[in-house]
Amino acid sequence: MRQELLEYNFDWMMGCLMDGGAKAAKSTPKEQQVLMRYMPYFNKTIDMILGEGEAGELFLKMMCRFFDNLLTAHEKGKKIAATTFCFSPAILYAVGAVPVTFEIMSALANMTWKRGAFDYLDFGCEVGLTETSCSSQRGALGAYFAGMTEELDFLVYDTPGVCDTNANSFVFTATYLNKPSYQLNYPQRLNDERTNRYHLEDYKYLIRFLEEQTGNPLDYDRLAEVLKEVEKQDTIIADIEDMQMLVPCPMPPIYNMFIYAGRFICSGLPEYTLALEKMREKVRENAEKGVSGLKSGVEKRRLYLCYIDHYTVDLNFWRWLDDHGISHLGSILSKSFAEGTGYAKELEGSTYSMDTSTPEAMLNSIAQLNARLPMVRSIRGPYDQPNMWLDETLAIAKAYKADCIIYNGTPGCRNTWGMVRPFARDLEKHGYPTHILYGDAFDDRVESWESTRTRLEEFFTVRGLL
Amino acid sequence: MSNFFYEAATKILNSSITEWKENGGKIVGCTCSYVPGELLHAAGILPVRIRGIETTGTDIGDAYFGPFICSFPKCVLQLVGKGKYGFLDGTIITPGCDSMRRLDECWRKAGEDYEGIVPPYFYYFDVPHKTLPHGMKWFKEEIVRLVNSLEKHFGVKIEDDAVKDSIALYNKGRHLLKELEELRKDQDVRVTGTEAFAVTIAGTVLPREVFTTRLEQFIGEIKNREPVGRGKKRIMLIGSISDDIGLVELIEKNRDAIVVAENLCFGVRYEGHMISESGEPVDALAEGYLGGSICPRMFGKYKERLALLKQKIDEAAVDGVIMQNIRFCDLHGSEHGLFERDLEKAGIPCLKLEREYGPLTETGRIQMRIQAFLERISSK
Repeated sequence: MRQELLEYNFDWMMGCLMDGGAKAAKSTPKEQQVLMRYMPYFNKTIDMILGEGEAGELFLKMMCRFFDNLLTAHEKGKKIAATTFCFSPAILYAVGAVPVTFEIMSALANMTWKRGAFDYLDFGCEVGLTETSCSSQRGALGAYFAGMTEELDFLVYDTPGVCDTNANSFVFTATYLNKPSYQLNYPQRLNDERTNRYHLEDYKYLIRFLEEQTGNPLDYDRLAEVLKEVEKQDTIIADIEDMQMLVPCPMPPIYNMFIYAGRFICSGLPEYTLALEKMREKVRENAEKGVSGLKSGVEKRRLYLCYIDHYTVDLNFWRWLDDHGISHLGSILSKSFAEGTGYAKELEGSTYSMDTSTPEAMLNSIAQLNARLPMVRSIRGPYDQPNMWLDETLAIAKAYKADCIIYNGTPGCRNTWGMVRPFARDLEKHGYPTHILYGDAFDDRVESWESTRTRLEEFFTVRGLL
Repeated sequence: MSNFFYEAATKILNSSITEWKENGGKIVGCTCSYVPGELLHAAGILPVRIRGIETTGTDIGDAYFGPFICSFPKCVLQLVGKGKYGFLDGTIITPGCDSMRRLDECWRKAGEDYEGIVPPYFYYFDVPHKTLPHGMKWFKEEIVRLVNSLEKHFGVKIEDDAVKDSIALYNKGRHLLKELEELRKDQDVRVTGTEAFAVTIAGTVLPREVFTTRLEQFIGEIKNREPVGRGKKRIMLIGSISDDIGLVELIEKNRDAIVVAENLCFGVRYEGHMISESGEPVDALAEGYLGGSICPRMFGKYKERLALLKQKIDEAAVDGVIMQNIRFCDLHGSEHGLFERDLEKAGIPCLKLEREYGPLTETGRIQMRIQAFLERISSK
């Protein structure tokens, strides 16, 4: 690791950036100008977030809460748990632990540093991760391996057999840093009784592990409180998702990221609820006026991202969508699959519901919620199995009246690269122009943003979409 | 080298398979070592491990799999597309790793373009990644489901007594492989790594009775041979999927190297791991195939894997470890980084070798690295 990077802790620096960004929201233009001088590589990102007004400001405040929790955890006698975006952090808040989600940290590093997460990605390889391992974890892991962060106390993940590269990153980290870890594990099917029982049993072992690691027995009153907050958040997300189906789509593209980033780090926290409420208010306002959430107010096309989004420098991808009048209808990351969501009507057994009536019901609810997070929900088994990735994508594309579909991921995603070609062909057979991007959502060196942009323009032009 | 084992190790359609088919026997291919061969054996079906040798290109594999995928399943799909697995009556896909489990969709989808390549019996065997009680319960249920499915499709009855007999037969083979491994540990080793590896691979495709009889004869024969490893550096080969004896041959082409131990996916990782012959066969198989497994897909078992390696290294007096993995195999690739750290710390020289699967197109590069490694060991 370069000496100059070792001077300041990775998570502390990002926490400071978020803090600065949040403060900028309430400052005068002149103050903002001065402040921005101190965050030169975060200018455009912060500008885009603050451009969303109060929703952007509340999003940044939520991020500040997350970083404050993280950076003061040990002072407050709390344990830090590393986890992944496919794992709901709500349970960690319920047991009094502080989550840190590697993928969110990698995405932030990409959006905020001059060189993206390059140095951290490379340092991960230096200590032994393969260069083909997933950049979504590796972008942050380099900093953890170099000791440039708050020390992790334990790790929890849930991707063996769903995304081996993700699971592998966690097991490598646990071994390298000599930390305890627990993995949830998912069978290939989602919606049968046998599988649901397995989810619950597995989750109970997770609880035992968490109790051991935190030294706190699970407080079911606290869990109920967190789950009720989650339920409230799910209801707001469902409202937003419903309005997202309108033509034109009243939701600004960047809200997708706000929604899932919050879900991956602050699920169950009131700061996230506040940000969601503000987003719903704005989307509703647009919907009532019948206007698009795009800056131009004119929707030309509607795009569904069947996998993940793109996070490299300056949020270029999001800006590009906005500039071209393309509504972002969500991705595998943003759909909650809470009971009652419109797109899940045709996908029997694909949703979860919240029941806080008894301890067993609560555990079952959160186990089922966890089993429906991104990836673990839809790519756990063959993609063309009932209610898996193909059915889900088609149901969402239909419900949201998508004009086209784009796959974007990372080269580390062995699981989707193993079948994305036949998957895309199947989508085309159903009438959806589908494009596969070959870049890396977290590493511009795999394919520069300029090249990605050219490919996007080519796709939209050649297919007669723009 | 025994021509019999060599032929089985280097040809997809070997003479035993041809004979089996000519006699009207059924054959089921399996993609991973987690499928209990005893079940198929008890049903009178020949289980064969699906392999990727004999490929000369990957145009078919590349058309279905994406670019960032292990070349092993691509080579398998290539052979499938070319009709080389036309002798299969069934296939069992296992989620051994992400690349391999996607063979399920890619094979079926290729079947829409290449007529007749999907066997009439196509089954997904859902192996969990943990051995906690609910994981073991799940796996036992999967075994029962597999039995039911085989019985229904092939019109056979898989009786418990027949499974017990098969377990006994398979155990005999495991015992013999263990004996072979013991002979390889000898300072006066009398069998080359290439021969031993060919035997092991042959065991994954030959009828078990034939394999066991031939292996017994082979062990008797090598005990009377002259030593072949005197003065040579004793190498251990570990890592991801490898069913090509060419790689071992390449190492042993160096006059000063002999491969005396291995820990490979197709190799003898569990040679000493017997399946219980008493009690319920389903329980015994579940315990043996999942309970005892520490392959890297079983996340969180690094310490056990390291201990196994160290034990093998000590017992076989290994001078250096070559850790090979196919590109995009992060399970083995990243673990090699940890092994390298821990084994080098213990004074055991290691070489990490990332390669492509298939005809050894990278022979020159690989050989150069092996030679440099041997030089390094020699200078110690």
